[in-house]
Amino acid sequence: MALVKFDDFSYKYYGADSLALKKINLTIDNGEYVVITGPSGCGKTTLCRAINGLVPRFHRGYIAGHVYVDEKDTREHEVAHFAAIAGLVFQNPENQLVTLNVEKEIAFGPENLGVNPVEVRRRVEEIIDLLDLEHLRDKHPHEMSGGEQQRVAMAATLALNPQILVADEPTSNLDPKSAEKILEIISTLNKRGMTVVLVEHRLDLVAKEATRVVLMDRGRIVADGTPTEVLVADICQDIGVGIPKATEIYKRLNAKGLRLGSVPLTGEELALLIQEGTV
Amino acid sequence: MIILEDVEYSYDGIYTALRGVTLQVDRGESVAIMGTNGAGKTTLIKHFNGLLRPQAGNVFLEGKDTSQMSVAEMAKIVGLVFQNPDHQLFLESCKKEIAFGLKNLGFTQEEAEERCDQTLSRLGLEGFAERSPFALSGGERKRVALASVLATEPDVLALDEPTIGQDARQKESLARMLMEMNKKGRTVIVVTHDIEFVIEHFPRTIAMSDGQIVADGDTSSVLTHEEVLERCSLTLPQMTQAAKALRHRFDNVSDRLASLSDIESIATTLLEGA
Amino acid sequence: MSFLEIFQYTRQDSIIHRLDPRSKLFLTLVCAIISLLFLDIIPLLIIFASLLPLLAAAKSLRRWAKSMKGLLVLLVFIMVFNTLLSTGPYPFSYSVSLTLRLVALMTSFSLFFLTVHPDELSQALIQMRVRFEFAFAMSMAMRYVPTLGHEAYAIMDAQRSRGVELDKGNFVQRVRNIIPIIVPLIIVSIRRALSIAESMESRGFGASENRTYMERLQFRRRDWSLVIVSLGVLVTVLYLRFIVGLPDLFLWNIGF
Ligand SMILES: Nc1ncnc2c1ncn2[C@@H]1O[C@H](COP(=O)(O)OP(=O)(O)OP(=O)(O)O)[C@@H](O)[C@H]1O
Ligand SMILES: Nc1ncnc2c1ncn2[C@@H]1O[C@H](COP(=O)(O)OP(=O)(O)OP(=O)(O)O)[C@@H](O)[C@H]1O
Ligand SMILES: [Mg+2]
Ligand SMILES: [Mg+2]
Repeated sequence: MALVKFDDFSYKYYGADSLALKKINLTIDNGEYVVITGPSGCGKTTLCRAINGLVPRFHRGYIAGHVYVDEKDTREHEVAHFAAIAGLVFQNPENQLVTLNVEKEIAFGPENLGVNPVEVRRRVEEIIDLLDLEHLRDKHPHEMSGGEQQRVAMAATLALNPQILVADEPTSNLDPKSAEKILEIISTLNKRGMTVVLVEHRLDLVAKEATRVVLMDRGRIVADGTPTEVLVADICQDIGVGIPKATEIYKRLNAKGLRLGSVPLTGEELALLIQEGTV
Repeated sequence: MIILEDVEYSYDGIYTALRGVTLQVDRGESVAIMGTNGAGKTTLIKHFNGLLRPQAGNVFLEGKDTSQMSVAEMAKIVGLVFQNPDHQLFLESCKKEIAFGLKNLGFTQEEAEERCDQTLSRLGLEGFAERSPFALSGGERKRVALASVLATEPDVLALDEPTIGQDARQKESLARMLMEMNKKGRTVIVVTHDIEFVIEHFPRTIAMSDGQIVADGDTSSVLTHEEVLERCSLTLPQMTQAAKALRHRFDNVSDRLASLSDIESIATTLLEGA
Repeated sequence: MSFLEIFQYTRQDSIIHRLDPRSKLFLTLVCAIISLLFLDIIPLLIIFASLLPLLAAAKSLRRWAKSMKGLLVLLVFIMVFNTLLSTGPYPFSYSVSLTLRLVALMTSFSLFFLTVHPDELSQALIQMRVRFEFAFAMSMAMRYVPTLGHEAYAIMDAQRSRGVELDKGNFVQRVRNIIPIIVPLIIVSIRRALSIAESMESRGFGASENRTYMERLQFRRRDWSLVIVSLGVLVTVLYLRFIVGLPDLFLWNIGF
């Protein structure tokens, strides 16, 4: 069975007037790299929260339908139970840091899961090295810049060694190089077998590594397919989602009757296709 | 007009965040500040309204030394939006949040209400007036934080990462609002990692790294300077990447910052010629 | 808020910081007990005076002094109040010793809290076989002091940035300025606590009965020495106080 399965799942926050998720049907298989995108407020974060049971167990509200993660109904298990399966990186970089320094922050998750101390230490060192956090090792979460906090948050979740990494705009505060680096790490981990669910507005950063793009609007899934399929669809513009500039060029050329060999997602791809088109 | 002279700042005396920053932003300019995580951008703009005070050097606002001015006095001139909306929002409804600044600046009840509605609708937050800022999505929260400052139309707008969590459409309407205010003579300063946002809307860019200004000048020259990009952890935007790759083959392609329409016309000519 | 800092961990590298929290807890309790044994000015002054070198060894004297200055108003208030209310023969003298005792007690606990990292405390409690949830709650509570401070400053910054005058004005005005931050402070803190809880659960807090710990505290020789010396002092003082009795010199009072 699929790793994550939304089965006609609807959800409304307590006190809200409208549904945040409407009849979501979505299956995510092992090894996929799914990018979730859509206008601000369309329900992306809520969808992420549903993957480890925070919705509905932590955020009270009205629910219909079910979400199964690793074949377990999230209604019936505690959130903590899903920690080893689905690791969540939250949207707000600061609020998710719970201990008093970076080293302990990274160790917190594996310690909770009962991982042996030697292994915890090994993971901490490995991740500090991987994400360039050495200079922050002893710092308090309040004493870091936004981007630094965000890197630490990612580190703390990766330390759980989750089967699925669910990351909610994990690069929003990062400078372009760090963002690239984090996305590279995520994509390497994906190739080694970790399933990835990533929320992102800036598709130019993530589209080329993703295996699938899910487009949401007002609580519904409105498109779901490979990155090129979804990004050339007109619905992106209609709901105000930005597509990579290279893809935009492809569409404009297409409208003029000039066809490129395939859909470019990056500047280099575009240049290559234009060159091919001129020979 | 804001002038900083050799400003140094370190947190708790140990963590150095600014090592001698000198800059001048004139009235009516629109400037982007970019740079590596931890470069000191947030620390820098907190000096613009006095939340942080230089430990060495001076800050002048409208020609006056600010060392004797209170934050509230500086806030009449400079409206600051924090990087993390959590640090900004503290009231129980979006409307109250926006009215708060307006009232402090002496707007009447009616004026405040009008501006509040207007700002909310321009930022795609119609119908949010009575909602709690705590029960919103991340991007919506950021926009409420922006609205609470934009509504007051201060002389200087200093925005820390205004595009975080925004989709293309919201980014566009935010840019439009900022540019309108800029046309009316307001100074707009944004800290951002979003290169395309900068290229499209800001003629001047300041690039920072490790507590220092590495480059300050025309966006098109700062953001194409290899060494600056390297030191400030910036990357080329897609269109410029494409232009660069094309230049190797076609010598009529220039190496300045390329916009969407630049590449479109280049591609059209090339492809039609083939 | 600076007076709260007297109980807030400060990162330092000192002999005292390096001691095991359990031995420091013992030291603090001994100091506190001794302070509670006396209500005369001279012995309390001696206790107080002997705490200062410890603070100095912890490199925290300046911090302590700064917070004490913040508390001065409160201490003077307590002193005046007690003098007026006291029915004893020497009301002023009595209230001076009461205040001194309070200061000595605070300083003892301050020595502990200034030098024990909240995470170390929870680790210590756990190794003393306190349940993890409780130990963690304890350390969360301890952390709440600085967090609350941060939060209060953040709200004040948000208000100042939007034109509220908090930097100028006389003492009364400044105190009055605190009132509008109280309600937001409560709301914001609760929200923050909820998000932290959300994050903790998502990272498996409470998932496993067998939580592990990357590092364990170790009771070293210096900790044993500290415990033995403190115990020695305690026994001696108890002996002097109850068996021998204090010489008259120590019972001196101000005389009114
Ligand atoms: N705690 C809450 N209580 C009530 N309504 C909420 C709450 N959190 C979010 N909402 C609402 O639910 C809807 C979906 O929110 P969600 O956070 O999932 O959006 P999102 O797609 O993540 O947006 P963004 O890109 O801005 O982060 C929004 O309309 C939002 O206003
Ligand atoms: N309260 C604090 N205490 C100690 N150090 C701090 C504090 N705030 C920031 N710093 C440090 O100061 C430096 C500059 O931080 P600042 O927040 O100004 O960076 P920034 O350029 O805004 O980064 P980002 O792009 O990640 O937001 C960083 O190295 C950071 O770790
Ligand atoms: Mg979100
Ligand atoms: Mg910043």
